Amino acid sequence: MQMVEFEFRNELIKEDFSLNYCYQCGTCSSSCPVALVTEGEYNPRKIIEQSLLGLKDLLIKDQKPNIWLCCTCQMCVEECPQNVFLTEIFERIKNRIVSEGEPYPETFKTQAISVIENGLAIPLTQPIIRRREQLELPKVESADINEIKKLLEATDFKKKIKILEVSK
Amino acid sequence: MSYNYFLGCVIPGRLPFLEASARKTFEKIGMKVGDQANCSCCPDPTGAAQLDHESFLALGARNLCLFEKSKSNVLSLCSGCTESLKTIKYILDNDNEKKEVINSKLKAIGMSYKGNIDIKHFAEVLYENIEKIKKMVKKPLKDLKVAGHPGCHYLRPSEIMNWDDPLNPQTLDKLIEIIGADPVDYNLKNDCCGNPVEKTDKEISLIMLENKLKSMKEAGTDCIAVICPACFQQFDFNQREINKRNNTDYNFPVFYITELIALAMGMNTEKLGLNFHRIKVNDVLQKIT
Amino acid sequence: MSKISKNVMVIGGGIAGIQASLDLAERGIKVDLIEKNACIGGRMAQLDKTFPTNDCSICILAPKLAECFRHPNITLHTLSEVKNLSGQQGDFKVKIFKKARYVKEDECINCGQCIEKCPMRVEDEFDMKLRKRRAIYIDYVQGVPSIMTIDRENCLFFTKNACRICEKVCEREAIDFDQEDEEIELNVGSIIVATGYDIFNPKSLNSLGYGRYPNVVTALEFERLISASGPLGGHLTRPSDKNEPKKLAFINCVGSRDIKNNPYCSSCCCMYTTKEAMIAYEHNNEIETSIFYIDLRAAGKGFREYIERGENKYAISYIKGKVAKILEDEQRNPIIVYEDINTSQVKQFKFDLVILATTMVPKKDAVTLAKILGIKTNDFNFFKANSYYPQISSKEGIFLCGACREPMDIPSSVVDASGAAAKAAEAIMRG
Repeated sequence: MQMVEFEFRNELIKEDFSLNYCYQCGTCSSSCPVALVTEGEYNPRKIIEQSLLGLKDLLIKDQKPNIWLCCTCQMCVEECPQNVFLTEIFERIKNRIVSEGEPYPETFKTQAISVIENGLAIPLTQPIIRRREQLELPKVESADINEIKKLLEATDFKKKIKILEVSK
Repeated sequence: MSYNYFLGCVIPGRLPFLEASARKTFEKIGMKVGDQANCSCCPDPTGAAQLDHESFLALGARNLCLFEKSKSNVLSLCSGCTESLKTIKYILDNDNEKKEVINSKLKAIGMSYKGNIDIKHFAEVLYENIEKIKKMVKKPLKDLKVAGHPGCHYLRPSEIMNWDDPLNPQTLDKLIEIIGADPVDYNLKNDCCGNPVEKTDKEISLIMLENKLKSMKEAGTDCIAVICPACFQQFDFNQREINKRNNTDYNFPVFYITELIALAMGMNTEKLGLNFHRIKVNDVLQKIT
Repeated sequence: MSKISKNVMVIGGGIAGIQASLDLAERGIKVDLIEKNACIGGRMAQLDKTFPTNDCSICILAPKLAECFRHPNITLHTLSEVKNLSGQQGDFKVKIFKKARYVKEDECINCGQCIEKCPMRVEDEFDMKLRKRRAIYIDYVQGVPSIMTIDRENCLFFTKNACRICEKVCEREAIDFDQEDEEIELNVGSIIVATGYDIFNPKSLNSLGYGRYPNVVTALEFERLISASGPLGGHLTRPSDKNEPKKLAFINCVGSRDIKNNPYCSSCCCMYTTKEAMIAYEHNNEIETSIFYIDLRAAGKGFREYIERGENKYAISYIKGKVAKILEDEQRNPIIVYEDINTSQVKQFKFDLVILATTMVPKKDAVTLAKILGIKTNDFNFFKANSYYPQISSKEGIFLCGACREPMDIPSSVVDASGAAAKAAEAIMRG
């Protein structure tokens, strides 16, 4: 049985008040390309409904619907007749999944580690550097990695996304 | 205020030829754009932003601080970077509390965000210079049917991007038109290419791509024009993948709009690195010469 | 002491204005009924049937039109607009601008010979531009006054100083190109505003494809398409290929309940889409209809039963889910992408014809008229009504009824009109 967690609901509303305005018309799911491909298994309206009801376990633990399937195209936001900022609310929920240590797709983690270690999601490789020269492109002056590390320490990034062990 | 390039991760690290066409195009229209050293990942609006909002804001604000120090605006070559940086600016400029928190984090590296620079997507700047481009066209791409894919992060959320119509975008098609090509209208023009979903489920990502390709094919296009490296990868790398799985024969050459503009301006195809595309562009080159 | 006028002016000759005029006239009060078009009748005349009884709309309306025309206490001013207002309750002075008709009202017998010979083809507003009329015309067959009008903007005599064929063929010598626009002054004790509404233009909702897809039409266009007096003579075919549509879809709340367009409820699209689906079924019982809705707001008397009847006897499926996206296939069939909220499934389905239930919006010149009359408009530019006495405007002596103050259906407009008539009478009798 799903428990209603008022605290969770109130936190979500506090972070983005537009959640309160949803009247469950289904415009978002009708405009969502992922919802169409998955025949509604991924369903933005349902995520909002569950948020409004405070069904925390369903959203955070079971992750049903799988919120990581949102393609962030923001069609729902543009079409919503009540100006609910769905993608913003989804982002808050995903942040919660991560900070509560629930599983999330590996690729997100890999990308985050690359940013921590290289400052970039895709580090420059030797063949690419050569190709850049071939194309007469200037050398990329990448980010000062110590600065990035210090900044991400200040925001507690590694701890929040549960990848402390990797840096060791 | 002048512009410095914000290259992001995908273009310099994987698709440098897109950068070449952009640099050459801006040079041709007489715009001097500088290079900004020390930039990190924007960070990815479909990646880091989903993990931790605060780190997303801090990393992006750091990038903006670099531009503030150089006293130059951001000229981004990627839609994702543009959305991230515009969103971060929007949040920090409108939410003092968050700005203070982020500045307290930036203190660790001796920076502070002020909010006195502007962020532009390269297609935005191209569109603003459309008359100049028109004058520079030497070889109009006559009879070339181009399916423009404006993508998502170039347009939405419109409240933040504040540029083209988010549900009926025009600017990319106007750019296609101005170089003599024929912009193709197709059913799913506004739909996502599927790239961001690849992180979670490749299968779904490919179905989304195939839906787009099908719609483009029905409209009878010769090639595809994009303005975002993530979309470029999706279209250029994954058509074959779809063919392999579904026994289809999608083979649309994919261009960055700056590549098409450069071609219309009569630039050398080798220097543009068109040979680095996975889907060969020869048919299109033959058609336009 | 100033002279107290006992006339009431009613602005707008739709069902609300007509009802208000008749109520007042029956009470012995003289009425000046001002109508902008050449004929009275308004939106109701455009409708094929009315809900929830499915009565023929014009059959109910026509006797009222005739009564209005011949009632000794009602003076009809067609082709007329209010240009200026001064004075106060009990003694308003009104300037009316009356466009020339170029047809002698007492001579024309509506024989139609002029129409047959007129060489011009003009978009017919009454038929939602779905067919052409001539430059000399009558708004609709049963229109009152039952006489012709020449449309100056399109008549060859006025545009090119040529033609004059109508003048030659008219046996009654009713054509008079020398008529001139007039300014009339009226002195009235109170005023009823009943100017009605415009239809929301769904072209701005790009994802629905209206204007791009020929087989996506608005509900009022559909009403004309299916009407026996409409451009198709009641034999429904779809615009792209003239085939008979078998699968219809209605999308409710288009342009209403939407912060980005109009936040208010259209108040009648749940009902009129059901009605139009029923009419379609009565024409051809192979037709199956889906109505996509947010909520079914069937709150009137007999309304819920009406919807149940639609479901059980007219092959209508009601699907809970607002549609945001319409695509089109190569045969120009609209494809609707929707979530069926009852099952949470997201699907796409191909239809032959899609009808958008567009909402009522204020008349585009509502703000101008409000300024002339010195009354207030609300947040949406409907005329602002008093919260507790909804027929009372923001100005003493001026009353409101019908959809000019908020979206409402025909039964509500009639009730509203009688209320406004009572108030307007009260105002002059007190004086």
